[in-house]
Amino acid sequence: MTKFPNPPRLGGALKLALLTTCLAMPFSITAGEAMAESKPLVIARNLAINSLDPSRAACDTCLIYLSAVYETLVRLGEDGRSVLPGLAESWEANGDNTAFTFKLNPKAVFADGSPVEAKDVVWSWDRLANAQGGMSWLLDTIKTVETPDAHTLSIQLTQPDAEFLGKVMGPNAAIINSDVAEANGARSTKDAANTDTAEPWFLENSAGSGPFVLQSYSPNDELRFKRNEKYWGEPALVDEIWMKNTKDSIAQAQMIQNGDTDIAMQIAPDTAKTMETPEIVVEKAPSYNYIYMALSPGAKGNTVPLTKPVRQAIALAVDYKGVIDFTVAGAGRLQASPIPNGFPGADGLPEPTQDLEKAKALLAEAGLKDGIDLKVKFPNQNYYGVDMSMLMQKLQQDMAKANIRLTLEPMTFEVWLDVVKGDGTPLTASYYAPDYYGSGQFVKTFGMIPGTRWAKRSGAERVEGEMNPKEEQLLNQALAAPEAGRDALYKDVAMEMINDRIIVPLVNPDNVLVFSSAVQGVRYSINEFLPLRELSFKK
Amino acid sequence: MTAMGTPQNNNWAKALMSHLRRDFWSALPAYIGGLVVLFWIVVALTAPLWAPYSPLDMVGARLQPPSADHYFGTDGLGRDVLSRTLYGAAQSLPIAVVVVVVGATVGAVLGAAAGFLGGWTNTIVMRLVDVTLSFPPMLLAMAVAVALGPGLKTAAVAMIIVWWPLYARLMQSQVISVKQMDHVEAAVSSGVRRFRILWRYILPLSWTPILINATMDFGQVVLLAAALSFIGLGAAPPTPEWGQMISEGAVNFYTWWIAAAPGLAILSVVLALNFIGDRVRDVLDPRSTT
Repeated sequence: MTKFPNPPRLGGALKLALLTTCLAMPFSITAGEAMAESKPLVIARNLAINSLDPSRAACDTCLIYLSAVYETLVRLGEDGRSVLPGLAESWEANGDNTAFTFKLNPKAVFADGSPVEAKDVVWSWDRLANAQGGMSWLLDTIKTVETPDAHTLSIQLTQPDAEFLGKVMGPNAAIINSDVAEANGARSTKDAANTDTAEPWFLENSAGSGPFVLQSYSPNDELRFKRNEKYWGEPALVDEIWMKNTKDSIAQAQMIQNGDTDIAMQIAPDTAKTMETPEIVVEKAPSYNYIYMALSPGAKGNTVPLTKPVRQAIALAVDYKGVIDFTVAGAGRLQASPIPNGFPGADGLPEPTQDLEKAKALLAEAGLKDGIDLKVKFPNQNYYGVDMSMLMQKLQQDMAKANIRLTLEPMTFEVWLDVVKGDGTPLTASYYAPDYYGSGQFVKTFGMIPGTRWAKRSGAERVEGEMNPKEEQLLNQALAAPEAGRDALYKDVAMEMINDRIIVPLVNPDNVLVFSSAVQGVRYSINEFLPLRELSFKK
Repeated sequence: MTAMGTPQNNNWAKALMSHLRRDFWSALPAYIGGLVVLFWIVVALTAPLWAPYSPLDMVGARLQPPSADHYFGTDGLGRDVLSRTLYGAAQSLPIAVVVVVVGATVGAVLGAAAGFLGGWTNTIVMRLVDVTLSFPPMLLAMAVAVALGPGLKTAAVAMIIVWWPLYARLMQSQVISVKQMDHVEAAVSSGVRRFRILWRYILPLSWTPILINATMDFGQVVLLAAALSFIGLGAAPPTPEWGQMISEGAVNFYTWWIAAAPGLAILSVVLALNFIGDRVRDVLDPRSTT
């Protein structure tokens, strides 16, 4: 009979350890599964946060943050036009858009469980105006706000403002828990710009009624959200969202390929094109941001008068479709006027086209047969995936074909801002991202109306015949008009701005969203940018 | 310092040539470096003869990988990367020469004046050197370039401002050291004029460290110029400058060829200059020989 050697004897302690491990295995798997379900959803983006205070924040990440943590009276629908209830369950406007009434939803509560009341609305809007942050102008048409009861607001405006609901939807018009904020140094009085000391507090705390609350913020590192357990509406679909500061497109691409992030928001279109796999989804969504060229008839550096025909020639020399291909790999759209695609008045406008022969003819008619030389100062940045240096080199190539010779002078944004606010530059380029849903902002920024940003920067105010009073007249009519006639009036203003040839839109880049196929609910929104409340992991 | 008075340093050119002849194998990297630098100098002077296309024109579809038509592919604007790299030599090499020559000259003159004259001249020059050297070089170059506005010329000025103090400090210490030597004291006691003492008895024994440093610094200047252009403070677009080309390539990381050619160019030039610099140091500074 064969004798097998005795198995080695295990020590008592080792036996106990093995037994414990075996017994614990089923429980440890369950714990692992539970962890997987509650894992945070990670988003990679260049945070570039200036503030987390609703009255002072002015950045793209701020829009995402404010929309997730705070709420406005009404919200913009997914179609980008319809108005949905927010904190207000109903609202109405009078015939000429000078008076609005809102009824607050009595169920609405802040994250500490206290009810959202009319006094909080008045306090938040007063603070927005008086703290004098970058968006303090948003509700500047309000004359008086009355609160007949804790859930009713009657608002009188100083002038007709058909875009008032659009402004109220803006994340900066969010409602703050006034009691909590006041207890931490926030003020809404006229002297709030000097007496309000709550901005640092808002970097560590939130006081809103949204589906998330601020968990923590580490500047230039990470912004963490956690679910508001007392949310009065549909609760958030994930427990936590971590937004990791990832500055450049390549780092974001590597993070999502390594599985270190679930969503990457700023991957360059050329890079994104190569990334689609069964695990990674690449989606392009039309945006409302755009890059424009600005021509300044009043710039001190002009060597020839930049008259309207000369500006027309410059605009005709641009290969607009080529600009889209070269700057955003085709992931963008043509834009006719400073009113972007999708906003009232933008439908049916003539698309910009290149016509080199006509451009040369216009220059010849203006006595500039040998062409013109223009110094171009521009901010050497990347806006919404468009590398400005690349864009300007493309324009340089295009315009050379019409004898318009550009000398490029890239500079930092701050230096560029000094230039355009001072002597100006004959030709430059910049970007615009809407502050709310409404076309009036574009006319007030780019129209040749006294006091607008580009009437000043282009020096048009100093040049006879360059201002366009018709634009102001049409804007006022549009703001007082009922919804049915508003688009037609804005379209007329858009045509006027096209003919001004001061602002020439170059490209309306798409938003490129790259995300894990395990994530759902990823979409772009004008106000919320990326609505966090809709994000979840697939089951 | 003691080695400065040896005959080897007095006849440095002769010593260098004899050393190179005698010790061919250990000098081989320097020979290769010399050939590489010579190659790039020829390229810089004759780029239009070699480059298949204009460096500024769109000559193909954008972001094309290397092919028979475009050996190093095309960039984001459809320009030939090889042509831009070859033309880039005419931007990057002259700037390095200008910065090192002007920086070394300004630094050496001020350092020699400080060391020889002493007193207030020494105090003022050396405190200026201390202040300048207290800033990180890259930060100072960036600050100056931002203040003066971007461009290759302003980048050169920024780099000269960063570089001259190194030479000034080196020269000042050399001059002070040589000034105490017997032959200088003998010349002083013989009533030789001050300027002649500096020119005839001190400077010939003081300037070899400047030459060694300058040779070693060429590569560093090429790198700093490329770094300034990379962050948008050097050459203005569409100038084909190596640093700026790498910056454009970094935006499109997965199209590796845009940055590959200028990257290899910078690598080869900097490596070659370092080989040469090492050899010059070995020959002229016996303290470093092992």
